[in-house]
Amino acid sequence: MNLFKRLKRGSSYYSYKPEKDDSDAIFSLSSAYITLETKLDLKSTGKAAISLKSVSGTFFTEMKDDIHRFLDISKSDFELLHNIVSDSYGYLWVILNGKRIEDLIAGISAVGEIINDKGFSKQLLAAIFEFKNNSKNNHQYLIYNYNLNKFYPFVPVSSKKEERGNEDEMKIMATIVDEIPFERDVTLWYPLWDMPL
Amino acid sequence: MRPSWQRKDTGLVVRMILSLAILSLLYIVFLSILAYLGLGFIPITIIASIMILSQWYFSDKIVLWSSGAKVVTRDQFPELHDLVERIVARNNIPKPKIAVINTRMPNAFATGKGPRTSVVAVTTGLMDILDPEELEGVIAHELTHIRNRDVLVLTLASLFSTVAWYLMQFGFYGGLYSGGGMGYGYGSGGNRNNNGAGAMIIVILVAMLTWIISFLIIRAISRYREFAADRGSAQMTGKPIKLANALMKISGTMRHIPTRDLRQEEGLNAFFIIPALSGSTIGNLFSTHPPVEKRVQKLMEMEASMS
Repeated sequence: MNLFKRLKRGSSYYSYKPEKDDSDAIFSLSSAYITLETKLDLKSTGKAAISLKSVSGTFFTEMKDDIHRFLDISKSDFELLHNIVSDSYGYLWVILNGKRIEDLIAGISAVGEIINDKGFSKQLLAAIFEFKNNSKNNHQYLIYNYNLNKFYPFVPVSSKKEERGNEDEMKIMATIVDEIPFERDVTLWYPLWDMPL
Repeated sequence: MRPSWQRKDTGLVVRMILSLAILSLLYIVFLSILAYLGLGFIPITIIASIMILSQWYFSDKIVLWSSGAKVVTRDQFPELHDLVERIVARNNIPKPKIAVINTRMPNAFATGKGPRTSVVAVTTGLMDILDPEELEGVIAHELTHIRNRDVLVLTLASLFSTVAWYLMQFGFYGGLYSGGGMGYGYGSGGNRNNNGAGAMIIVILVAMLTWIISFLIIRAISRYREFAADRGSAQMTGKPIKLANALMKISGTMRHIPTRDLRQEEGLNAFFIIPALSGSTIGNLFSTHPPVEKRVQKLMEMEASMS
């Protein structure tokens, strides 16, 4: 950590702002991703998402418009396509599509900050990054949980039978547990079935 | 370069020698204090050697008998015999006897005086929940215990604490009844009765101290040897992840990974339950097995270093 960052942390100690921790945590994925790639042969599918509980009202709609506008404007900075959808649980999904993991990380972090600034940080559920192992051909996810401020793995095998690939999940944990804020308590690894990614 | 876990484990040898040296030193100190206090050297030696020999000679029988394990033939459990033979053939080690314990609890252990006379025991519950590759990982773990002569080391180590324990009790009762002529001073001259009580207290204190120290040392050795056996299993099978899976199945970790959707869980507001505190270091100090999650993590690291 450089001096500037440390000073920033120090000054924000008294006015505790969890969103800074969230973006710090999410940004730590960029180095952990290299480890996932080299050790487990996991590659980003180019998809990432942020999920939050929808509420009715103009402020929420305004926030959605802001996210749209921000992502449209920033297209020149990060090469990201975006899409906003709702699911059957009443959650809003901001889905990003981009070639480079750095862009996805920056995009997710920025959207998270917009949601925060608009006062909806309590609604934030999770940020999700999708990976794929070429030899296994299955999708594997890293879920960042905004309540825990930590990452955990999710490898769906069959959403109908609610079956998950614990072996792959444990592999992910062992590989990057010391590199990013990671939830070591497996009883908190709640899955997200049928994500609209 | 070969991953570090595939190289020879010099740490194990060093620790083995060091801990045995510490134990024998404590043993000698303890015995010389007893001798100084007047108990004849010959009685002490006889007691000590009878205990060592009998515990050593009967160790495997005691273990098998107390666990209810039955040695099984090839006809009774052909798949199990095949599986063990595959591992021993690949790794050029003698085939142990195979025993089965009829219980739902998934578990396994190894016992025996040397590689040629040892027994590997598995429970029927273990065979039920593990697939063949996972069972192979567990059996290779037990075979490593045999190859590393862990039974010998732990028998010797625990023997010392047992002796210390008995002598502590003996010293305690001896101290209580010393007025009645049952004290240590018996037959060594009347002047010992004067300082008998003080000497008893010293015996008790020294015995307690040696017992506590050896107790902690045994646990430290034992925990370290579990890691060593995990590593050995990984070398034998080449599939550390299978043993990790088996450990998670045995400990029930797999069952604890939830399948209920996070969004449902949020709806029930059950999410804000404070997560359980992770194990304390004092607990770790007293347990003979390292926590499963640490073993799984080490095995997963081995797995990752192979690819």
